[in-house]
Amino acid sequence: MFKKILAAAAALGAFIAPVHASDLSDMSWNEIVAQAKEEGNVTWYVWYLQDDFRRAISSFEDEYGIAVRIPDGDNAGNSQKMLAEKDRKTGDIDVFAWGYDSFETVELSTLFNSLNNLPKDDGRVSKLAGVDGGDHVLAFWGNQSGIAYDPAKVSSADLPQSVEDFAKFWTDHPNKFGFNYEKGGSGPSFYQNVLRNVAGVDFTNGEVSDARLSALQPGFDFFNKYAENYIITASNVDNINRVSDKELWMAPAWEDHLAGLQNRGEVRKEIKFYIPEMGMNGGGNGVAIPKNAPHPAAAMVFVNWLTSPDTQTMFNRDFGTAPMNAAADDSAALVPNEQRAFRQSWGKQPFRSKVEEAFIDNVILER
Amino acid sequence: MTLRDWVPIFALLVPGLGLILVLIGSVVYVAVAQSFGYYALLGQSAFSLEFWSDVFDRKLFSRAVRYSIYVGFWSAVLSVALAYPLAIWLRKPFPGSIGLGALLKAPLLVHGLVAAFLYINVISYNGLLNQFMQGIGIWSEPRRLQNDPNAFGVLLLQVWKNMPFALLLLTGAVQSISDDILDASRDLGAGPWARFCKIIAPLSISGMQAAMVIIFIGALADFTFQTTVGPTNRQSMAQLMVSFKSRGDWHSAAVVGVSLMTIALLGSALLAFTSRVIMRGGLR
Repeated sequence: MFKKILAAAAALGAFIAPVHASDLSDMSWNEIVAQAKEEGNVTWYVWYLQDDFRRAISSFEDEYGIAVRIPDGDNAGNSQKMLAEKDRKTGDIDVFAWGYDSFETVELSTLFNSLNNLPKDDGRVSKLAGVDGGDHVLAFWGNQSGIAYDPAKVSSADLPQSVEDFAKFWTDHPNKFGFNYEKGGSGPSFYQNVLRNVAGVDFTNGEVSDARLSALQPGFDFFNKYAENYIITASNVDNINRVSDKELWMAPAWEDHLAGLQNRGEVRKEIKFYIPEMGMNGGGNGVAIPKNAPHPAAAMVFVNWLTSPDTQTMFNRDFGTAPMNAAADDSAALVPNEQRAFRQSWGKQPFRSKVEEAFIDNVILER
Repeated sequence: MTLRDWVPIFALLVPGLGLILVLIGSVVYVAVAQSFGYYALLGQSAFSLEFWSDVFDRKLFSRAVRYSIYVGFWSAVLSVALAYPLAIWLRKPFPGSIGLGALLKAPLLVHGLVAAFLYINVISYNGLLNQFMQGIGIWSEPRRLQNDPNAFGVLLLQVWKNMPFALLLLTGAVQSISDDILDASRDLGAGPWARFCKIIAPLSISGMQAAMVIIFIGALADFTFQTTVGPTNRQSMAQLMVSFKSRGDWHSAAVVGVSLMTIALLGSALLAFTSRVIMRGGLR
């Protein structure tokens, strides 16, 4: 009996044993697609808009007959799972989505498969916001932070563009501007760009030193000087909700987040969005295939679909993202292209994390 | 006792001890070890006091400790203070007392997160309270009540959620006091306050201590109410721990977690001791 169980287990193991990426390197694209269809399903770990993505991927499922599973999970949980199971022979993650700048914190070639086997497409983006994904990461979601505002309260001609303009707005309209310092990056994008402008510190340098952190003090003083005239909100979504509720007139937001909420009718359609001339951060999210992906061929086909012009056009239309394929149509964006010139890249790590800690200690806790 | 006698005793204790030692003990062990640099998710695992020193040096941590103790202490005290008169009132059955008791305990059935969102709907900028106050002409424009800096919203929700629990424990303790004792004290001229101080409080002290300690530990580690309605210029310890964890800084999160456990242990012991001393009218 025991021998029978062992034999059955061995047979089952052989049946479900995954085809690893190394096996794909000699295959043509058609063979990879055929292999993907045999694998039959793909698991995509993405930490946001899961319900919307489950609807959006239906065209992929219809086209290839490959089922896509999107588990629930947050950003930290997904990334910790990816790292924790990196030494397992076969993991649970086929396609892993992460903030593009987060990929910079790990060794790409040891964690992820090469994407060289994808069909040639020069429109795809692997360098974004100062981070080079090389052969291992491709951008699938472009986003831009800026300021959401209520046009009934602030006319487009009066929109603050510089740090001085914001200070004047705060003074003229106390507590009608708010930003978050946690639970979302729109507020941090705002305060880090104010710090950059006021203190003149180079955020593209990730080096941490006491001198560089001390140089931020004029920026902290600026926020403390006007502390009575702006409010601190709880999160990205709280910013937009308060503008929609007419409590605030302006607040930092993500372009895609605002567009998504407006498309779903969850906030007022009238709310507008702009990128101030002082600059706010833009970037995006990327996808990669872990080396121990259980369905590597299906993962490759899914990444190809995700980064294709058609899918990127659909994301721009439905989610308000900045397309991450040069051949995609970006006509549904919330901001005109000329404002994208004000886009800044996220500060380099570990300096950025130290700035965030210092901002909490020197500004938030002083309130 | 021989080994033969010990074996069945040990076997009988295994289910309970196993749960405590293996499940809880292993979690506590990992948290403590991680706070000293072991079990690193990335990088090298090695003994280090650096995480303790870094976290303790931050104003964010000391403020989170003070804030969590503030919420824990006042939640426990206010919940018990409100529950005591109700428990005494409901001690003797009267028409409708069962229904009233059930109604008072209803918040136990409502999840804290649901209550927090309901509360936000009431106090938000365009919420019911603002609309009502403007409707009756007391306020001329909406007021910003959300995320108040003194955490009154958090305390209100904590008391709303925990008072029924205190009432549950205190009702049992107060009902166990014999009528004869209270009648005797009444015959001897004791008024309501004297009866409470000299009879009810000392005889229900165990229930009160249990309520205080359990509510204190729960409120000290509050995450739900704090992140939903709490002030934005300070963090609770649980919030700080999650914040460290979400940045991938498990070691600092473990330092906060171990500190939270230590404060819960010491704080509840101090609270139980102090309340006993006060309710008994001094050290004796």
